[in-house]
Amino acid sequence: MQNKLCLKRNNMKTILSLILLVNFTNNNVVAQQYAASQLPTSLTEKASTVVRFNEEKIIIKNPGNAIVKRKYAYTILNASGDKHANFVVHYDKLSPVSDITGTLYDGNGNKIRSLKKNEVKDYSNTSEISLVDDNRVKVHNFNHSLYPYTVEYEYEEEMKGIFYLPGWVPIFDENVAVEKSNFIVEAPADYVLRYKEFNLQKTGPQITDFKNNKSYSWELKNTPAVIDEIYSAPRTEITPSVLLAPASYEIQKYSGTMNNWKEFGLFMNQLNFNRDQLPANVKQTVHQLTHQLTNEKDKVAILYRYLQKNTRYISIQLGLGGWQTLDANFVATNGYGDCKALTNYMYSLLKEAGIKSMYSLIKAGEGQNSFVSDFSSNQFNHVILCVPQPKDTIWLECTSQTLQPGYLSGFTSNRPVLLIDENGGTLARTPNYAADVNLQIRNITAGINEEGLLTASIKTKYQAEQQDGLYGLLKQGSQSNITEHVKTKFRIAPSYDVNKFTHDIGMNQLPYIDESIEVTARSYASVSGKRMFITPNITSVSSIKISDAATRKYDFNLSFAFTDYDTVKITIPAGYTPESMPSAVSVKMPLAEYRSAVKVEASQIIYTRYYKQTTGSIKAADINIAAQFFDKIYKADRARIVFVIDTNE
Amino acid sequence: MKIKTLVPLLAMLCFSIPLIAQNKSNVNFGKVSIRDFSLDNVKVDTSYGAVVLADVGKSVFVGNKKGYFSLVYKHQRRVLILNPKGFDIATVNIPLYKSRTDDREETLLDLKATTYNSVDGKVIETKLDKDNVFKEVISKTGTLRKFTLPSVKEGSIIEYSYTIESDFLFNLQPWKFQGSYPRLWSEYELLLPEFFEYVFLSKGYHPFHIKDVKEKFESFYIRVEPSLAAGVMASANTVALSSNSSLSRWVMKDVPAIREESFTSSIDNHISQIEFQASGRKFPDMPRTDIMGNWTSLANDLLKRPDFGAELRSDNKWLEETLQNLDLNGKDSVTKAKIIYDFVRKNYSSLGNNGIYISQTPRETFRTKKGYVADLNMLLTIMLLKAGLDAEPVILSTRSNGLPTDTYPLINQYNYHISKFFVGNEKFYLDASSRSLGFGKLKSYCYNGAGVGISLFTSKEELYPEATTEKKVTNVIMINGQDKNKWTASFSSYLGYNESTNIRDEVAEKGEAAFAEKIKKSYTGEWSASEVKMDDIEATEKPIRMNYMLEVDRGDDDNNIIYFNPILKEGLKENYFKSMERSYPVELPYKMDETFLFQLQIPDGYVIDELPKSAKVSLNETDGSFEYLISKSATDVTLRTRLHLENTLFLPEDYETLREFFDYVVKKHAEQIVFKKK
Repeated sequence: MQNKLCLKRNNMKTILSLILLVNFTNNNVVAQQYAASQLPTSLTEKASTVVRFNEEKIIIKNPGNAIVKRKYAYTILNASGDKHANFVVHYDKLSPVSDITGTLYDGNGNKIRSLKKNEVKDYSNTSEISLVDDNRVKVHNFNHSLYPYTVEYEYEEEMKGIFYLPGWVPIFDENVAVEKSNFIVEAPADYVLRYKEFNLQKTGPQITDFKNNKSYSWELKNTPAVIDEIYSAPRTEITPSVLLAPASYEIQKYSGTMNNWKEFGLFMNQLNFNRDQLPANVKQTVHQLTHQLTNEKDKVAILYRYLQKNTRYISIQLGLGGWQTLDANFVATNGYGDCKALTNYMYSLLKEAGIKSMYSLIKAGEGQNSFVSDFSSNQFNHVILCVPQPKDTIWLECTSQTLQPGYLSGFTSNRPVLLIDENGGTLARTPNYAADVNLQIRNITAGINEEGLLTASIKTKYQAEQQDGLYGLLKQGSQSNITEHVKTKFRIAPSYDVNKFTHDIGMNQLPYIDESIEVTARSYASVSGKRMFITPNITSVSSIKISDAATRKYDFNLSFAFTDYDTVKITIPAGYTPESMPSAVSVKMPLAEYRSAVKVEASQIIYTRYYKQTTGSIKAADINIAAQFFDKIYKADRARIVFVIDTNE
Repeated sequence: MKIKTLVPLLAMLCFSIPLIAQNKSNVNFGKVSIRDFSLDNVKVDTSYGAVVLADVGKSVFVGNKKGYFSLVYKHQRRVLILNPKGFDIATVNIPLYKSRTDDREETLLDLKATTYNSVDGKVIETKLDKDNVFKEVISKTGTLRKFTLPSVKEGSIIEYSYTIESDFLFNLQPWKFQGSYPRLWSEYELLLPEFFEYVFLSKGYHPFHIKDVKEKFESFYIRVEPSLAAGVMASANTVALSSNSSLSRWVMKDVPAIREESFTSSIDNHISQIEFQASGRKFPDMPRTDIMGNWTSLANDLLKRPDFGAELRSDNKWLEETLQNLDLNGKDSVTKAKIIYDFVRKNYSSLGNNGIYISQTPRETFRTKKGYVADLNMLLTIMLLKAGLDAEPVILSTRSNGLPTDTYPLINQYNYHISKFFVGNEKFYLDASSRSLGFGKLKSYCYNGAGVGISLFTSKEELYPEATTEKKVTNVIMINGQDKNKWTASFSSYLGYNESTNIRDEVAEKGEAAFAEKIKKSYTGEWSASEVKMDDIEATEKPIRMNYMLEVDRGDDDNNIIYFNPILKEGLKENYFKSMERSYPVELPYKMDETFLFQLQIPDGYVIDELPKSAKVSLNETDGSFEYLISKSATDVTLRTRLHLENTLFLPEDYETLREFFDYVVKKHAEQIVFKKK
């Protein structure tokens, strides 16, 4: 599959987890304050963890060096808060961690014991997709389980180079209440600190001057816990948070600015400067492959196929390698690289063929994606290639050996992307595949015999993002994986056998897969005495239920646009006539609509179903509209026809 | 006369067929020709994207320069990569063992890795650059060497070989004939001098193509450094030792890929493989040294070890005050044991499982109120003993850790430590590491073949999955009330013990109210549940009894016909066994026995138009049974349905029957009662 994230994971850390802290002197005073009994019910309600205090402090010494200090105390109220008692800090050679201390307190705030240095475990944190990187992690846990209890930790991290700055997400999980959380940045008076605030009651940090320094601070107090809701926006978009970024910075021997996307792009150019040199034999191959072609699109296609045939994805990220690409010569020699290296290699191949392309940074991932377009900072985790054309720009995912040129999957489609050329960076958007192209069109021709045995031929066309998952499986999975998928993909009760199946992969404007599966299912229809119960909707059964409508706080988001069409024709044994028929259903809500209808003609059931949804959100206040909509579908999809046989015949 | 000579010739031909059968792999390592890039007539599934053409390993003993023997293991492998699905096999991890106590380490030698590509009818070689071999520290006793082959593409042949030299004679390399890609030829050789004894343990189902042993006479040269040599020797000395040696050779051909399927306790139980355990040593003119020992010596060793039983028979005075406070006087043995068990279970925190050995002294565990499973259960055993009761540690292998063999006393097979309390003929297995467990109960992962009781002797503890039954009895009585469109029912269910344990864990995490809410939410549409009550949540040795009220709202429609499934939401809606085939046995964690009793008052104004048919079927005569008995009277319908599985292991040849049996259960559970207006 092509979902390979290959920019430094530190980006994630800035947004998702917390890193930091402060110098503390009044330990004993604090300890007594940890008595759980002192917590007001407004904080304990719905909470499994209460942040008693959290102090994250970034001391910026100069554009290339900072110290991050963090100290916090969490009171864990029950077992589901235990995960927050884990102390986990990621580090690497450019961000060493030191001075870890920790103390455990009981429910009355009395100290039980302190962390011993040798209890802190240190592991390699090389990710599964990585052959080698220098990510490491320090981990500790008091493993206490008499509730409530409090853990207090303190540590320091040095940042050797400031290409990003950690952010602040005080409500970092559901069921977490915050008594007090502070975020402080100290920097030289002339240092330009850039920040972006979200969902704060009071906007703007408190700024104080001292000596030649400036201090910026944010605070959150007495905030009750929240509970995650299905289909809601990412937590960072609905709870308070602050993003930071430097204006100018230094890392290793490089320095740059990122006041706007243009500058961000210029820095990437600097990092990757002169890394596009191809060895002579590859240059020659490029010319051999392309010299007879006149059309630029054909040249791109043939070179992309060449890339796919001769390279594969292997991630190696050491030091600055999280952001800087391995050079084109390395990829040419070894035949592998990560997203940066492979994209840069493709860029170099095109350049050799005289075709301009742009190295493009993106925040990849299926589903919802929160990217802050108006805050130029390191929010990326992936790189793709953009080949501008007068009409229909070509986008290339260079880590896949199998994707069709020009098609981006749901992993990178429909989102901001930073295009980089010699003039710096420009924010653009990747193509959006809408509801009318993300299709699933299914036709079932089936028969049911007197014992209730179903024999069905299921033909489905999947297009664009509706074929992404299946495409990945067909290209990456073994025959037994594919067979297993086909044998378990439907929920046809009680079980079904697959007698034959085929898949045809094709590409028109967009990729599609034609799938044909022949199944039999014993006892699909329930036969008892003179009656037979048949659910005409054999495969497309919705399972969405919005069970938190009564207490909904956040908007309801749909992040995937698609349309499904189903037509089912089932021949039933002669002599049966309908005794009870579901009525046709047609429901609509602002982002989606559904229709289903069934009729019986002679000995044939004809069932049709249509469902379409677009992306967008529904206000929390209107959640009942969505809840009722999905309830109706839930019920309609499961409706049965009852047939009865005329025994007098 | 000519005819006569023909006959013996034919006979000879017949006999010689086995001799013609392939005795060697077709692969000539280091030499790749264009022909090698095509796969003809292979008998394995090529859809995994890569086929291992040859995988050859050899372990030999050699005399070393340190006055003793070393193991030399050589591994050679050639793979044909058919498409990107097979790229994973081009990334190689080689684990090396490292001593925990000093800096001795296994050494990797002669690593060579080459990719061969066929380009325009020519074979192009790309060699691995040594700079691209990385080292990763995994633990205190192990490191990895990692590399990926260069220039790998569709159709590449990759080949690599390396040698590991090891002073750790217990680490005689095992061999897996089977893995996640199919293998055409998998061969292992072992040259074992008679000085060393190992037991061979093999697993899996694939037949050997070759399995033979040859006797060889071998000489070994051992160099003894002057400092090590006895005083009489002034300089370094080389000692020659000769020995009868056995050269064993195992070959499997056309081995299919194996990947995990559902209902598997541990895939390792099923992979075709061979491993070795040192059992003894015998040098000329010296007595035999026993390494493996027997069950009794194993028990004695464990009882002496400070990280196991050394404290079992100590005075342990530090426990006296606590035991006094538990107020055990005058109580019977079982009651005393229960009180002690509850004390440890409720007051001590588990850090999870970390094997059979304790990580700290029992006194330290006592003081810090936390420890690994072994620590807590050792403390429990010691407290029971201190209170004058009979108890001993039991070691076992959890289901995911694989099936232990009880043929040999192999301590490394065991990974979990519990306590056994016994009085008279009764014995109770205790695990104080889980708050949701009750006295005499274990989690289902502990039932995996025999455990071993450790006292002056060892005892076999029969912890088989067949020994436990997940028994559930549900009783529903339904009445149609005043309002004819609203039917109400009382639902009452004695849950199975494992289900109860899971609920207890969930309640501990999320609270009882949240769990009750979850049950309510499981009833949707016309159904609603209320007054959810759970009995015996705290009485962890008992199953939970779940009670609630149900209501069906039939709406305002004037129903001429009512279709009603008497099994409510309790039926089996889908078959557990979805796959059509099975390549190795289904392993269930326990036996099953579920009974559902239902009584319904016929609604006023209606008559029964149709009832499902009663039925009774059995699975392979004795492996299980299913019954569905329904009857009606003038006023009521009653149903009794029971699903009973008497076996926990089903072989691949029984799989189809098992699947059909469950299909039948699902079908009956879907059947409806039809009421018609009078």
